[in-house]
Amino acid sequence: MTHVLVVDDDPVIADLVAFRLGRLGLEVSVERDGEAGLAAARQLRPDLVVLDWMMPRMNGLEVCRALREDIDADLARTPVLLLTAKAQEPDLERGFAAGATDFVAKPFSTRELVSRVTAALPPGSVSG
Amino acid sequence: MTGPVGGVLLAGAAVTALIIALLLMVATAHLLRGRRSARDDRRKRELMPLVHAVLDDDPVDGAPLPDVVGAPADLDEIVLELLPQLRGSDRQTLRDLLAERGVVSRAVADLTARKSWRRGRAVALLGSAAGTDHIAAMVELLDDRSLEVRCAAARALGKAGDPAAVGPLLRATHGERALPSGVLGMALLDLGTTALPVLRDSLTGRNQVARGLVAELLGVHGDPSAAPLLEALVRDAGEDLGVRRSAAAALGRIGSPTSTEPLVDALSNSPDPGLQRTSAEALGRIGHPLATIPLLAGLAAEDIAVRAACADALAALGADGRASLEAVATGPGAAAPVARAALDELGPAVRRAEPVGAA
Repeated sequence: MTHVLVVDDDPVIADLVAFRLGRLGLEVSVERDGEAGLAAARQLRPDLVVLDWMMPRMNGLEVCRALREDIDADLARTPVLLLTAKAQEPDLERGFAAGATDFVAKPFSTRELVSRVTAALPPGSVSG
Repeated sequence: MTGPVGGVLLAGAAVTALIIALLLMVATAHLLRGRRSARDDRRKRELMPLVHAVLDDDPVDGAPLPDVVGAPADLDEIVLELLPQLRGSDRQTLRDLLAERGVVSRAVADLTARKSWRRGRAVALLGSAAGTDHIAAMVELLDDRSLEVRCAAARALGKAGDPAAVGPLLRATHGERALPSGVLGMALLDLGTTALPVLRDSLTGRNQVARGLVAELLGVHGDPSAAPLLEALVRDAGEDLGVRRSAAAALGRIGSPTSTEPLVDALSNSPDPGLQRTSAEALGRIGHPLATIPLLAGLAAEDIAVRAACADALAALGADGRASLEAVATGPGAAAPVARAALDELGPAVRRAEPVGAA
């Protein structure tokens, strides 16, 4: 089963994203801060990470960089989708430079999120 | 001796008891807050599936429709928390949900409440929850007797996103119940790019405070269509100086090369150092080579702020501008210190990367 890790310190947003992705037939895990998110990514080895930018302990960019620099080549290649209110031109540059695969700007549409997650995963990963 | 010692001991015991009582009160308050927070989180968790079901655009066949009207009041809190983070059909679904639960109609009724906090809360809620449905009623609160309510109304109008609010918000820049420019500016920015045509039209309005604010906002938006109008303001010697400065700064942010000529004219011919400085800064942002000679001339200005702005602008013009600055920096004139400061600001790496004389 395709596994997605959602890392967001806002429980309402994290739960909503997890619900919508769960409805696509994906297995979803949720973490509430960057440090826990990075540890979970190393342990669970998800197929995709949906990452908030502004988080306590370790922000989304730091997590993204740490993933890209991981000695495990498979983990270093994991697609990362930044779900963030920081989506101005310079933010996009910084996000992509840190290794983000794609962005979803807050305020966001769950339909757009679903489309971008589907596009970032290998074909056939998503049902329905 | 016993008397004074006993008194001191008694006072010490009283102080200790007071400290212990205070510590107990703080600990109890902390405990209660923790419990309340845990209870709120639990309630939210219980209600989240209901929100998910409402937002689910592909419900499972045969699944019962959620009872959103009869759900506890905590649901409104969750929805109001979620609303600003979502857009498109999700946001509309949540707005419909609040309307269905009577939240919107209760807020409309509260707009005329006697207590100012209720009016403020109501207008803030409508700004998030009602979209463009109650703009006229919200606009009325821009003239409320309470400053807090007027500020809440301005912010709410910005969030509601209806360009029809531009006029009323700009009218609130003056008069007895005027609002702070910062509050109005944020509200006008929140309206987004749909407000740009109305903002451009407002550049020719009668109110100079509003014209200055609009000029600034058009610059923040980086609206190229506004450039000719802003250029006309910069050229207009009869216009208020504050408005002309705001227009010059806005042209710098927009960055259109066609704005170079009016800005050069303002830098070279205006008697106002403020307008000269702002024009120099704008020329630096635009970066057109035609600005090099006027900016070099500006290095001889009487006002040190103008000289510094010209030096910074030359430093931003690329290799030619920096070469000119190097020449001034090594000379004996009054402009040498500001030229050196501008070059120091750039750092040696930049100067080495583009050697003097390189095009």
